[in-house]
Amino acid sequence: MPGNNLTLPETGPAEVQPVQPNLWEILKVWLKIGVQSFGGGSSTNLLIRNEFIYKRGWLSEEEHLRFWVLCQLVPGINLIALTILIGKKLGGAAGIALSLAGMLLPSAGITTLLAVGFSVIQGWSPIQAMLKGLTPATAGISLVVAVQFANPLFRRAKKEGPIPVAISFFIIGGGAFAVTFFKLPVVSIFIGGAIIGGLAFGSGFLNRPKKNIS
Amino acid sequence: MGPLEIFLTFLKASLFSTGGLGSLPSLHQDLTTNNIATDQDFGQAIAISQVSPGPTGLWVVALGYLTYGFLGAVLALVAVTIPPFLVLALSAGYSRIEHRPLVQGIIRGVSLAVVGLLLVVVWSVLSGPAIGWRGVAIALGAFALAYAARVNIVIVLALAALSGFILYS
Repeated sequence: MPGNNLTLPETGPAEVQPVQPNLWEILKVWLKIGVQSFGGGSSTNLLIRNEFIYKRGWLSEEEHLRFWVLCQLVPGINLIALTILIGKKLGGAAGIALSLAGMLLPSAGITTLLAVGFSVIQGWSPIQAMLKGLTPATAGISLVVAVQFANPLFRRAKKEGPIPVAISFFIIGGGAFAVTFFKLPVVSIFIGGAIIGGLAFGSGFLNRPKKNIS
Repeated sequence: MGPLEIFLTFLKASLFSTGGLGSLPSLHQDLTTNNIATDQDFGQAIAISQVSPGPTGLWVVALGYLTYGFLGAVLALVAVTIPPFLVLALSAGYSRIEHRPLVQGIIRGVSLAVVGLLLVVVWSVLSGPAIGWRGVAIALGAFALAYAARVNIVIVLALAALSGFILYS
């Protein structure tokens, strides 16, 4: 299966051998993620990393990041696309079906049950106070995911030298700055990142041998 | 609106949007102009998604229930599950060209942009009007527990909710 091959060999330590877990195990892990994934996309991504990368070694850090990048390029809910890609890698079509079932059925069921009862509890001040605590926690969790995504990219850049490190900082900082202060649409940040990344890392510009002046 | 129209409305919204709340404008326009849903339904559905597990995008399941009962919830869930399958076609195309240096460079650039956008999320939450020092403290605590101490995410969120209860009530 092509998806089992790692595409960024220079990052080294995070590489894993392809593993084919059985379908029951796949369903079990996704059910666990499905019922625990409170707090939105970042929390769920963190759970996915913990279960699939760190605990079981079924996925590498690079694969997860590459999958997540591909998920940004398709319509709909990114986490569902990510579930589909991981499910396919681990178990083909059956893996996709079981991964989606495990991820979505518990959370959609709980969401529906909450919709049934929410009008009763939404006005309670303890619930309001707890929600106020959960909102900033999602910022902390998003930061964890940002750092974990950035780690393999900077490990690779460090090996290549100071200019790739500087370019990496520029893409991250420039994108964040442009969205925050100039309200540029997210898609323009992806396009900008793709152009700079393609030119700087993919065109051979940085690796061009220097002329020998003697 | 019949079940098929409800399904197609949710499918269209998901097909022409990205991310969790990207489908909001399309659904708002289609469902409020037909008096199928109210602004209150939208607010409630989004609030429910904040306290329930799963992707934030599942707020449409709550909206489906609030506007069309249990059948609406099922139709909404099926509708939002279909468009992300396009990622399989994208992935298949990508696997044919992934070893080209230019493609790797582009993916690397987009990966860095993703990191930048995650930082935007952090900033936009922490710069909100109702956050203050208590919110920043909760965010830093959540980061420290989840990153440095590798504490289970459910425990981190439970502690955040408890902190909210203590600090804000």
